[in-house]
Amino acid sequence: MKIHLKYPTLLVLFVMLVISSWGFVQPKERTESIKDTSKTYGDKNRTASEKPMPIYGNWISYDSKNGLPGDKAYCVKIDGDRVLVGTHEGLAVLENGNWKTYTTEDGLAHNGILAIDVDPLTGDVWLGTMGGLSRWSTGKFENYTQMNSGMPNDLIYAVTCDGKDVWVATGGGAGCYNTYTRKWEIFTEENAPMHEPWTYGVCASNDKIYIAAWGGGIIEYTKKTKKFRDYVDPDGNMEIDLFPDDGVVHDITTGASWSNGILWVATYFGLSRYDGVHWKGYFDHDSGLASNFINYIKAKDDIAFICTDQGLSTTDGENWITYTTNENSKNGKTILLNGADKKELATSPSLAHNFTIGVDVEGDRIWVATSKGVSRGQLMK
Amino acid sequence: MFKKSIYTSFIVLMTIFVLVVAVQSCKKKSLEGMIVMSQCKGDIENPDYLSGSRWRNIPESRIVALHTDAPDQPLYKLTEGFYSACAPKISYDGNSMLFVAQQSENDIWQIWEMDLTNRKTRQITSSEGNCIDPDYLPGDRMVFSKQEIINVATKEKGYTLYTCNLDGSNLARITYDPSTYFASTVLNDGRVVAIGRTLIPEVKDAMLMIMRPDGTKQQLFYQSEANHHLQGRVWEMDESSIVFVEGDADNEKDITSISYNRPLHSKVNLTSQIKGDFYAISPYQENMVLASYRSDKEGHFALYGFNTQSHELGTPIYKDGEYHVLEAVPVVKRDRPKKLPSEVDLNVKTALLVCQDINYSYMQTNDSTTAVNKASRLEILGMDETMATFKTEEDGSFYIKVQADTPFRMQTLDGNDNVVKGPSSWLYLRPNERRGCIGCHENRELVPQNAQPLAVRKDPIPVPSPKEIDSLKRDLKM
Amino acid sequence: MKNAKRKTLLWMLILFGFIIYFPGRMLARHHVNYKTAVTDHPLKCTSCHVYTSKNKFVTSLINEDYYSPFNIAVSHDGSRLYVVAQDTDELLIVDTESNSVLHQIKVGVHPHSVILNKANTLAYVSNQWSDNISVIDLAVSKVTDTIKTGNGPSGLTISADGSYLQVVNTYGSDLSVIDLSTKEELKRLRTGSDPTGTALSPDGERLYVTSRRSKIVPYGEPLVSDLTEINGTTLRVSEHHNIEEAYMMENIAFTPSGDLAMMTLIRPKNLIPSVQVEGGWMMTHGIGVIEQGANGRIIQLLTDEPNSYYSDPFDIVVSPDGKRAYVSNSGADRVTVISVDSIRAILKETPKEKLKNIANNLGVSSRFVIKRVPTGANPKGLALSEDGKKLYIAEQLEDKIGVLDTESLQMEAPIDLGGPSRITVARQGRRLFNNAGHTFQKQYACYTCHPDHHEDGLVYNMAGKDMGRNVTNTQSLREIGDTPPFKWNGKNQTIYKQDGMRFSTVLTRTEQFSYDDLDAITAYIKRGIKYPPNLMYNPHGKLTESQLRGKEIYNRTKDNFGNVIPENNRCYTCHPAPLYSNLKAADVSTLAVTDDSILFDTPHLGNIYASPPYLHDGRAATLEEIWTVYGEDNKHGFVNDLTKMQLNDLIDYLKSLGGPEQEENSTQIQETASF
Repeated sequence: MKIHLKYPTLLVLFVMLVISSWGFVQPKERTESIKDTSKTYGDKNRTASEKPMPIYGNWISYDSKNGLPGDKAYCVKIDGDRVLVGTHEGLAVLENGNWKTYTTEDGLAHNGILAIDVDPLTGDVWLGTMGGLSRWSTGKFENYTQMNSGMPNDLIYAVTCDGKDVWVATGGGAGCYNTYTRKWEIFTEENAPMHEPWTYGVCASNDKIYIAAWGGGIIEYTKKTKKFRDYVDPDGNMEIDLFPDDGVVHDITTGASWSNGILWVATYFGLSRYDGVHWKGYFDHDSGLASNFINYIKAKDDIAFICTDQGLSTTDGENWITYTTNENSKNGKTILLNGADKKELATSPSLAHNFTIGVDVEGDRIWVATSKGVSRGQLMK
Repeated sequence: MFKKSIYTSFIVLMTIFVLVVAVQSCKKKSLEGMIVMSQCKGDIENPDYLSGSRWRNIPESRIVALHTDAPDQPLYKLTEGFYSACAPKISYDGNSMLFVAQQSENDIWQIWEMDLTNRKTRQITSSEGNCIDPDYLPGDRMVFSKQEIINVATKEKGYTLYTCNLDGSNLARITYDPSTYFASTVLNDGRVVAIGRTLIPEVKDAMLMIMRPDGTKQQLFYQSEANHHLQGRVWEMDESSIVFVEGDADNEKDITSISYNRPLHSKVNLTSQIKGDFYAISPYQENMVLASYRSDKEGHFALYGFNTQSHELGTPIYKDGEYHVLEAVPVVKRDRPKKLPSEVDLNVKTALLVCQDINYSYMQTNDSTTAVNKASRLEILGMDETMATFKTEEDGSFYIKVQADTPFRMQTLDGNDNVVKGPSSWLYLRPNERRGCIGCHENRELVPQNAQPLAVRKDPIPVPSPKEIDSLKRDLKM
Repeated sequence: MKNAKRKTLLWMLILFGFIIYFPGRMLARHHVNYKTAVTDHPLKCTSCHVYTSKNKFVTSLINEDYYSPFNIAVSHDGSRLYVVAQDTDELLIVDTESNSVLHQIKVGVHPHSVILNKANTLAYVSNQWSDNISVIDLAVSKVTDTIKTGNGPSGLTISADGSYLQVVNTYGSDLSVIDLSTKEELKRLRTGSDPTGTALSPDGERLYVTSRRSKIVPYGEPLVSDLTEINGTTLRVSEHHNIEEAYMMENIAFTPSGDLAMMTLIRPKNLIPSVQVEGGWMMTHGIGVIEQGANGRIIQLLTDEPNSYYSDPFDIVVSPDGKRAYVSNSGADRVTVISVDSIRAILKETPKEKLKNIANNLGVSSRFVIKRVPTGANPKGLALSEDGKKLYIAEQLEDKIGVLDTESLQMEAPIDLGGPSRITVARQGRRLFNNAGHTFQKQYACYTCHPDHHEDGLVYNMAGKDMGRNVTNTQSLREIGDTPPFKWNGKNQTIYKQDGMRFSTVLTRTEQFSYDDLDAITAYIKRGIKYPPNLMYNPHGKLTESQLRGKEIYNRTKDNFGNVIPENNRCYTCHPAPLYSNLKAADVSTLAVTDDSILFDTPHLGNIYASPPYLHDGRAATLEEIWTVYGEDNKHGFVNDLTKMQLNDLIDYLKSLGGPEQEENSTQIQETASF
């Protein structure tokens, strides 16, 4: 049963809309639904709930006072022994304990770096900026712009390396750059089932590309057939999710990440999870999600790391851990939600800021980009 | 009738055949394979290296031909009708000879050409000044030195280089600086190399200067050490070596070899182990030059073969108890030098010069102590007065449009108009010539850095200018 | 009576002959004068009507099939040479005892390099015009496998453990890493532009790839080329070294001890007004030495001398004892023998701040050059026997393998590969094209600015009048035979004029070509320079959907809003197939302030993808920039209504364009293609 509510009347709809917009929650029914679906996804050998959720602590933060060129960090990427942080003032690189900044003076396309990905084969770093795409290889930048190349638009929100292709989500559509042939393909509402060309996120699975398109839900592109299909919110553009788990929670998607057969979709109105058959929605009122306003999502193995305006949440689909901070004291909380059990741990110091924008995880390290610096956490044993 | 016709035709054919054979047999009488040499009696000491007298043009000299197969045979006197004749040069096909001569005593020296197949001579120049040291240029032209007033103020005379057709027409002056030029030789690359000596403001040491036959792109080719002097013509051997006679500080005259490829730093004295003097040389056979040599200053110069590889002087090829052997050249065919194209356009009255960086030598030393003397201005000095002074660009470059065929020197100035470097040696540019220099560099083997001089982004500064022009105040072209 | 008739007839014939002869000769004179732009060119009809004929029968008579050896490998025991015969698409196996060709093995198209595996059982040949590697089993002398590569494979190395074949892709500007166990491409690493040379350090830890073109920068900015360093273990790019003021880094080699790597290079002077040749003001040639270890300096040394230049250095090999290096100077028909110890000494005594100056010093070569050994025409690839006693030289345009005794430094009798003994007019033209003997002091050949008979990607200030004005982008010479006039301003109606008197005055600055040589070089340029197949953008002769859409835009007559585009502002008007040029002059409003007022000769568009930068002064780094940056006024075609996707389609189509032959071959396929 996908539909848990009876068909509403227009009046009920209106009332719910108003209630929802006030942040009113109905936790009971939603919690049940989480429990129901937790057994249908994840590792084939055991459910996600059987795996312990990683908890991160020992946070250390960096901002303009101790290494970054500016406070506003948009994205972060762990690249081997070094950490790359995209800030509003350039690329900051932490290597051997030292921060170094690269800006347009060094050849970067634009100082505002919104996305970073590293090609696992070549080691090339691809930087999506507010003014073009930069390929950073051994300290040298090569820039692609809408003027000098076939790239759709200079405002790049997301970058994903996928074999020989580099995908970008831009303000003018999604673009695919074939590093072998040096050709760009552009995907907009003209040739893909998008609502408009604005795209916020792009990620790759083994055989598919998922594009988070503003107002267009998730666009799925099958590499082999070069065909598109879209996943939109069956409820349309309503801010509430009328019928839970009937599809992506909202058409205004802000990011997507694929890992271990699961596609995680971020929106400004909640989180969605898609296992290839079923969609599942998560909201701040019915899960451990810190906030429905999700800036960015990153899935690693079975865990999704969700950057919201109220802190960082992580989930395996059932259990939740959220990291928040008191912006004045820098002390914060780590909130664990295991089924119905909720536990709060005091964390000092905690994240640099609750407005989290980017995250990356590698081994026992987590790095979080926030609007007031970047924070590094360690996996707690 | 028919038979008669055949008979007639046969007669005609036979006549043609006989005539051809006769002409061919006449040709055989050419001097091919012989050695042509100039000779003179008496004292040839104390030559005047400035006027060329008794050095390049020797009174009562004569040109003779020597049978190399039978050197004992009497010499074949080629210039019997002349009072003086010397400086023979053989054409590339081996059929003609240029030489300088006086028909009578006190005549002006003029240039003549002899057809070596019939020994007929014809006068090429009819100048009011002595014309000496001719050499063949490709395209039926020749280059030579002509005596003229160099310093108008003092009426001091010197030799300037000219070119003309072999019939004397189309005369063209190619040097315009206050220097005197002798003993020009055309190298295989088509350029003219000559002994040049600056006369103004003071007489400087002679050096080998090289230029294109139109006078463009003149530059230093070889500079002797102090107190050494260049004796005569240079000759190009195989394997790109250039040989000539050079006198040292003790007036010992040796055969010097330099590499065409790197003339400024490849000097080798080939005869340092041989006592005595050499007067002149010319290529003869592989690794062999003809050399006029005497072992002591009292004796006569005789003709020898000198091996440039083993540095051995053979036995005399020809020796004369009465005459010195001066310049000897074999009558052989040789490769024609390249015929260089000319950029000179006589309808244009100006020429362009770009300099990359007047502080180039400063950059080269990387010496911080010289930084205080970095130049920022340039003064162009004419023969009598300053022609222009202007600020150079930030990168040290300048770009000027000068009056063609007008000599000038340059000196660099600092912000306080103190001279940093200079003045340079004299320069002149031919009409429509475009030329570049790196800077005031000591190392003449440097090539320019691949950088666009900022100065060429603007119009060239006119020189001479009525007043100082600040280059930065000119309108940008871009 | 009969006699009278005969006499009358004879007289009439003579009269007729006179009538024909004099006006005919006058017309011929007029015609030849126009074509050659001189008045004294011999009235030889063969010059244009035979040597440059496209008639198959005529061309079969006047041309020959030469081997054109390009690169060589030597077996461990020195008994066999493996010679890449570029023009016959073969690998020749040569017995060094008998100096005879044992096997001729057909490989792919236009092979470039050959490398042997450690056991000498396999040879790998890179086929530059078929984008693959031929694997040859040397036991049976047969091609046993073909491996797909990137675009334009050239230089080859095998990893230290023999697991990977690294293939430099010249046209793709990258390096394919081939897993030899699966014969599959593992990955492709970005290199500098137009790379060819590669060398692996003796310890297998470091792989260099040299590039031939410089990075594209606005005119006036410093010239920089990329030397790519790849970690031999991780097979990732570890450094992109900037090689300043140099390009055409054809090949690279390590010393056996691994203390130095040395590469060939050219130091051009494109940013300087070309006012003279004297003093190295046009081109200089040399080597780059990359110090290994902590210092890691890169020093450039000229192999030229103040009055003598050794143009187009191609290959470099180092003797087994690490004492000598040998460089082939393709444009000078010389092999330069270098003392590596002298270079080590120069490195030791030269502080870093002096490196820039020493790179411009023509006198330094006298310190490290041991000898210049004359070779046959156009020496290219070099290979040393394992004992270092013999140096084998691929004399490309001699069709021979030169053999240098490295002890006496004397050339031995060359190995004749058995090609045609006759030198055809076109072959003579190719020799002239590749030889610097026709420039003053042999400073550069046609090939120097037109490598691979194409173009070098640089913008020059030829300074025809004032300096700093009229900078122009070198144009490709591929398939230009039928696209007169020539030069950007279209002032030369024929190649005869282009390469005639004025050419010698402003460019070569030495004696002009003799008319026989002019015939030869014209014949070669007009008919001998072919496009490489456009395998990158049109591998199958069939346009992609995007290219077909682009073709529609190219041929459109109405804009996106249905308005008629003026005829002179449509792509196809000025660039009609099959030449993609109407051979007329046009104003596309890209004249610079520093340009004289001219109309531009409409360039052909075949293989346009391979000719960046674009526009007459190279201001557009990419095809996109022609319209995104410099096409705002809609005068270079009507484009401002195009969406970004449409522009991409149009450019995709432009990149697919090859030569006229490709157009003919693909017409049928395209007609049946569906939109």
